[in-house]
Amino acid sequence: MNLRTTDLPVAPAVRGRTPLVATGFAVAAMIMYFAGVFGVYLKERAQVRSEGLPWIPNKATIELTQPGMVIWTLLISIVVMQWAVYSIKRDDRQHALLGIGTTLVMGAMVVVQTAWHLSQTNLIADEGPTTAATLIFTIVGSYLVAVIIGMIILLLTGFRTMAGQYGSKQTDGVVAASLYWYSLVFIYFIIWIAVYIAK
Amino acid sequence: MTENTPLTQDNTEDMEIRTLELGGLAGTFGTADHKNLGRLYILFGLSGGFLSLILHLLVRLERINIGETSILDFGSSNQYFQTWSLSRTSLLFFCVVPLILGLATYLMPLQIGAPSIAFPRAAAAAFWAWLVGILIHVVTVFSDGGLGVPEPLTQFAQGMDPEATELSILSIAMVAIAVLLASITLIATVVTQRPEGMTLFELPLFSWSVLVATGVWVLAMPVWLGNLMISWVDFRGADALRYGNVANIWGQLSWLWSQPMIFAFAIPVLGIAGEIIPVAASKAQRQYTIQQIGIGALGVLSFGAFAQPFFNADVSDQAVFVGMGLLVILPVLVFLGGLADTLVKGKPKFSAHLVLALISMVALLVGTTLSAIHVSGPAIGAIREIDSDWLSGLINWLTDLQGTVIATAVMEHALISSLIASIAGLYYWSPKIFGKRMNNGIGVLAGLSLLGGLLLSAGSNLINGFLDEGDAVYLATSNSGVWNQDAVEFLNVIGFIGSILLIGGVSLVLLDLMISIFLGKGSNEDVDNPWDGHTLEWATASPPPTGNFDEPPVVNSERPLLEVGGGSE
Repeated sequence: MNLRTTDLPVAPAVRGRTPLVATGFAVAAMIMYFAGVFGVYLKERAQVRSEGLPWIPNKATIELTQPGMVIWTLLISIVVMQWAVYSIKRDDRQHALLGIGTTLVMGAMVVVQTAWHLSQTNLIADEGPTTAATLIFTIVGSYLVAVIIGMIILLLTGFRTMAGQYGSKQTDGVVAASLYWYSLVFIYFIIWIAVYIAK
Repeated sequence: MTENTPLTQDNTEDMEIRTLELGGLAGTFGTADHKNLGRLYILFGLSGGFLSLILHLLVRLERINIGETSILDFGSSNQYFQTWSLSRTSLLFFCVVPLILGLATYLMPLQIGAPSIAFPRAAAAAFWAWLVGILIHVVTVFSDGGLGVPEPLTQFAQGMDPEATELSILSIAMVAIAVLLASITLIATVVTQRPEGMTLFELPLFSWSVLVATGVWVLAMPVWLGNLMISWVDFRGADALRYGNVANIWGQLSWLWSQPMIFAFAIPVLGIAGEIIPVAASKAQRQYTIQQIGIGALGVLSFGAFAQPFFNADVSDQAVFVGMGLLVILPVLVFLGGLADTLVKGKPKFSAHLVLALISMVALLVGTTLSAIHVSGPAIGAIREIDSDWLSGLINWLTDLQGTVIATAVMEHALISSLIASIAGLYYWSPKIFGKRMNNGIGVLAGLSLLGGLLLSAGSNLINGFLDEGDAVYLATSNSGVWNQDAVEFLNVIGFIGSILLIGGVSLVLLDLMISIFLGKGSNEDVDNPWDGHTLEWATASPPPTGNFDEPPVVNSERPLLEVGGGSE
């Protein structure tokens, strides 16, 4: 027997929160990516140390000033991003945009500071490539890519907010962007501890 | 990503006005319609299956020796290795994954009563990124690239091109990112686009299986992507140390083709069989929740991101790995038991999709059984005190199986069962996808050919594994521990015949597609709901219109059409 949907009762509208759910799974994927790379990093570092060798090459220097600045920048960006969420929930698009824009600038600061820091570490210049250098470049390089993706998301969210798509009745896009941003802060916190502090 | 606007009564009319129908190349390249994307995935996936099985056949030919000479000489161990590794990457990423994604992209929105896939433009971007990535990968492998070389001393010595190798790594990374993006769109669709009344426990089994499978992919494949990136960064360095050393690249990536992870790509086998068999038997599936739990359990037991022998050489002796290898058979058995109950209590109607679904289930069951055998050595050793020579010998023998071609047999069963299930799905849903039925007789013949091919190919690898043929067949040392070389050679001939049958099966399906669909010879009679299906995709026209449904349905059970008398029991 053939059946058309006209035979079925009418339903209310489908559920929302699509951007938030998708971002949640994207964040899960990103966390698994870094978990895998960190797993390799920690295992290899333990192995090298167990052989009595230094993990970071002797002539390399990993200063803590820039990573310290980055972690503070990111911590402040949490507050600013949450300000954007708070504002959009109250239909205050002007302050929401200000929050998103400020977070975007902070993202650019993170990229600049991290890239400059990497260039100063001297990880490969004198002793040639090392296992540590490969893994640090992979972790930090991947993180920079993730931050740049986050900045693109913020930029799109900002444009959409400006265009009036988001407001108190539809906050999903801004909340999803904030979720992604908070996950970036969390990941940098792990990098800060495992790569820079614990070396 | 862009937002998907929910289809409601209020905006249905607007949507029709906004929709611009494009035909030809513009329609193909510009489509964000999940139905067009699904069809494209399926067509490219079947074509990729043909290519990967040709490579599979070439590897088999190389394994056959007459005297000291191989029938097919690749010229160098590098080229043999490239063919061998490409046969694996293409079987997974150019055949099984796109077939699953194709069926899911086409059908999941229909099965849950949604007007579209979530993030249709992201889904389109995922498709094109996958296609471009896999094509670049194939071209670079044929241009002296590939994912490494078999032995350190052969690095770049035998015509291997570093730039092509780099592009091979990056292109397969692009494929992985595309698969992740496609998976996230599917997950977002099923989580957020379900109609009122349809809880996750009322999801059709195919949609549920895709949700579980893509969930595992989203959690495990980023780890694999991380391995790729580490290799690439090291490879780009002035002097690749370890990860980027071409002799080590494949070793870091191979866990995706090994148990337990390989079964993550076979999870939809359960979903497809779980859709087809109750409908073919005209009987509602009993213990539906247990069937769903079975699929979920297979998902949990196939999460293999931790099982990386390159970084953890002892993983095959570890309790979690061994336990997962042993337990993976249980969800398949439970699920098969549920289907058998439905078949026995129903009135099965003979059809190509029923035959193919049964074959895929049996193939998966055998694959999981081989998995249990594969890991059983350390398991027996762990649970029993070794107090006799024969038991000790048995344990050693079983433990030694771990480096043999039994691993290839497990992989073949997992991936080819998924290929057969996808073909079963294609025959079952072809009226919905193409608006025409495919030929039943050709479908049965293809199923038997694929079954025969799998039995011969994987069966010969199984016995060769017992004879101690090494899994790294591209190494000259793979035959060094073999008990009986003549038997291995004979079984490789059998395996070669199996490869021919596998190619024959896929060729028949492609031929049927050509005749029934593209030449229009297939029947288009009663295509809206030809099998008296139980799920929502059968409650709309075939192929469905833009927006899929005239009105969003309300669902209160996992078999909505049976509830309102649309299916048959």
